[in-house]
Amino acid sequence: MSRRLKLILAAGIGLAAVLGTTTAYAMMQDASAELRASGQVGEQADGYLGLVGSAPAAIRAQVDAVNIKRRAYYTDLAAKRAAKIEEVAATTACELFRTKVAPGQYYRLPDGVWRQRDGNTPIPLPSYCG
Amino acid sequence: MKPAMLTRLRASATQGAMRRANFLLAAPLILSSAGCVQLSAPEKPIEINLNINIRQEVVVRLQQDVRDLIKENPGVF
Repeated sequence: MSRRLKLILAAGIGLAAVLGTTTAYAMMQDASAELRASGQVGEQADGYLGLVGSAPAAIRAQVDAVNIKRRAYYTDLAAKRAAKIEEVAATTACELFRTKVAPGQYYRLPDGVWRQRDGNTPIPLPSYCG
Repeated sequence: MKPAMLTRLRASATQGAMRRANFLLAAPLILSSAGCVQLSAPEKPIEINLNINIRQEVVVRLQQDVRDLIKENPGVF
């Protein structure tokens, strides 16, 4: 009896762990999209997420976490393609401006000004974006 | 007697409604003053560092790799 109880308990704990990991993974899956959608975070021409205003600490922490991962990917690709990290990052920004910033979401060009994407109008890209 | 009681009841009902109305009038004031507190300026200006010179040919060369990178890491980009 007590052995059976232990088995049931173990199964329960296992299930909870799996569910927890799945939820955490699902949240990680669209962390940057959710941050952009919050209106407190936008895409910058330097290839990183930025805070549009004074955001709560929880948002800041998420932005930092995403940016650290981005930096790692940029560094990796830059080494692979014999390019500068800034060049990979800027190229990524061009692509994110094109495909990931939804209408009403914020973006920041090299002039440093935060702007909101106006409806379905494409974001005016810096000339180097090609 | 009856009309007088009704009038009294009505009067008290109106007072109750006014009290409620007063509260409703005050609510936006309280809320707006709470909003004002949050509208303070950010603590420090956020820096954007793009004063390096990006050449278009480099961007074109990296474009496909970057597209793959974005597609493979949906949570980060």
